Amino acid sequence: MRLAAHDVAVRRGGVEVLHGIDLTLDGAEAVALVGPNAAGKSTMLRALLGLLPLARGEVRLDGRPIEAWSPEARARHVALVAAEEAAFGALTVRDRVALGRYPHRGPFLPFRPADEAAVDAALAATGIAHLARRALHSLSAGETQLASLARGLAQQPQLLLLDEPGAHLDVGHQLRLFRILDEARARGVGVLAVVHDLQRAAAWAARMVLLAQGRVVLTGTPAEVLSSPECARVFEVTIQRHELSGSAQAVYSFEEPR
Amino acid sequence: MTEPARRRGTFAVLLACLPFAVLMALCLGSVGLAPGQVLSSLAAGAGLPVAPALGTTGETILWTLRLPRVLLAMLVGGGLAMVGAALQAVFRNPMADSGLLGVGSGAALGAVLAVHMGWSTETFLALPAAAFAGAMAAILAVYGLSHIGGRPSLEGLLLTGLAVSALASAGISLFLVATEEYRVKTVLFWLAGGLEGRGWTHLGLGAAFVLTGGALLLASSRALDLLSLGPEEAASLGLPVHLARMIVMALAAVVAGACTSVAGSVPFVGLVAPHALRPLVGPLGRHLLPASFLGGALLVLAADLASRTFSQRLDLPLGSVTAIVGAPYFLLALRSGLGRR
Repeated sequence: MRLAAHDVAVRRGGVEVLHGIDLTLDGAEAVALVGPNAAGKSTMLRALLGLLPLARGEVRLDGRPIEAWSPEARARHVALVAAEEAAFGALTVRDRVALGRYPHRGPFLPFRPADEAAVDAALAATGIAHLARRALHSLSAGETQLASLARGLAQQPQLLLLDEPGAHLDVGHQLRLFRILDEARARGVGVLAVVHDLQRAAAWAARMVLLAQGRVVLTGTPAEVLSSPECARVFEVTIQRHELSGSAQAVYSFEEPR
Repeated sequence: MTEPARRRGTFAVLLACLPFAVLMALCLGSVGLAPGQVLSSLAAGAGLPVAPALGTTGETILWTLRLPRVLLAMLVGGGLAMVGAALQAVFRNPMADSGLLGVGSGAALGAVLAVHMGWSTETFLALPAAAFAGAMAAILAVYGLSHIGGRPSLEGLLLTGLAVSALASAGISLFLVATEEYRVKTVLFWLAGGLEGRGWTHLGLGAAFVLTGGALLLASSRALDLLSLGPEEAASLGLPVHLARMIVMALAAVVAGACTSVAGSVPFVGLVAPHALRPLVGPLGRHLLPASFLGGALLVLAADLASRTFSQRLDLPLGSVTAIVGAPYFLLALRSGLGRR
């Protein structure tokens, strides 16, 4: 399963905010979408899902234009996990996660045991099974984020798009989050995540896409992107790479330029 | 108490209260009927081998006055409460009800027009028919006006609904001023909401729309749940958000229009019943919509009973009773923090 954007331009409020983006995501891939604030990262995720009208270009899912897919079929293949507005009413965590089965059951069909199993598995994978009966609005920001992720997993998509999935998570939960994403990749799920923490993105992703001012500035391995002068320029920082003895991961330090 | 237990308990209480309330409403009134006799008359009417115990007058009161009125009260209350619950999910706001769609004002304009033109005195059912037509015209106007230049946002729909309501209210005032005084009272009675003088025909017509529309709303409860998550998440899960909103609003308008055309304005039921029941049965449509139907039915049944037994001399307007109960409830709920979801 491949999601491919070609020359995608998006206008919002009469202003073009994405100017001809090329981006692909394949099954089992880990891609980090990075860039400074207002680069257009979140808009790009929504455009990839076909939620925004395109001013130019096209998005194809498995070779077919995204808008040619029925919304439910598309949602069976691609899930979006984003920071949401608060749900109205005291929905429980489990009920919220169970709505991730909508693409599989539609508005009318009753749930089968397989659907309940998918919900249970998603709650267990995200470590929030003990919160299943809690009302959503009684959760902390971090727990809410895990509930959103669980909803995305319950969808059982082949491609998972995430908008800053670790923004409200402590370091332990962040590590767990990326382990969950790696487990999904082991099942063949391609993951594209908008990540603000460049260090974390570099440790997790195989490929990094640097977006700035609505354009792809650079695509490559995290090491290639983070060592590039373009990356330092768009973030307006100096970046230094440090090899640690005994660790496979390089460490990056960031400073404001003098 | 666990959430499923609380939900089952709530349904059990609602279902247990309803028959008692119905029996009370059938027995009490300007002429009292004995509960035992009412029960045996009902049993006889249902074809059971029981001799009807009420006299001729009692039978007439029961079968032509009280029973259709009681059933109509339940139908109207249930319908309005269900519409409120559905629209609150669509607008993601506990203050949403059918008034937002311009349905109430449209129906009122239709009713005023029917009285002004004299149709209501010439033709049986002309007033409810005109009210229903007015409600449908209002929702079509909201739909059409809000879609000029593309799909409207929720705010766009809301503001269009307000504008259409205001326009209809202006029309009501114009026609009222131009209507002969003796006719104004007819329409004032209707505007204040009430069930006196409604019979089986009203019930049959109302039930056809309310029960069909209500069943379809219940069938769309999973879509309502998705809408309550917010438009983006609903769309990412594959729900055609705009279409789903329009379908729910159309069904809501049909149900609320039918309720309003037979009973006039009955405010606050659509707000109070779902608001009181949401913490008890949870916000999922498949639980909240039926619970709201039962709760709303009970509420209007009780309000109608109060309206016709409170005073010997005249029936209080039903709409005033629901507002007198509903408004303080709502203020209290807001103060106690329930209104903050």
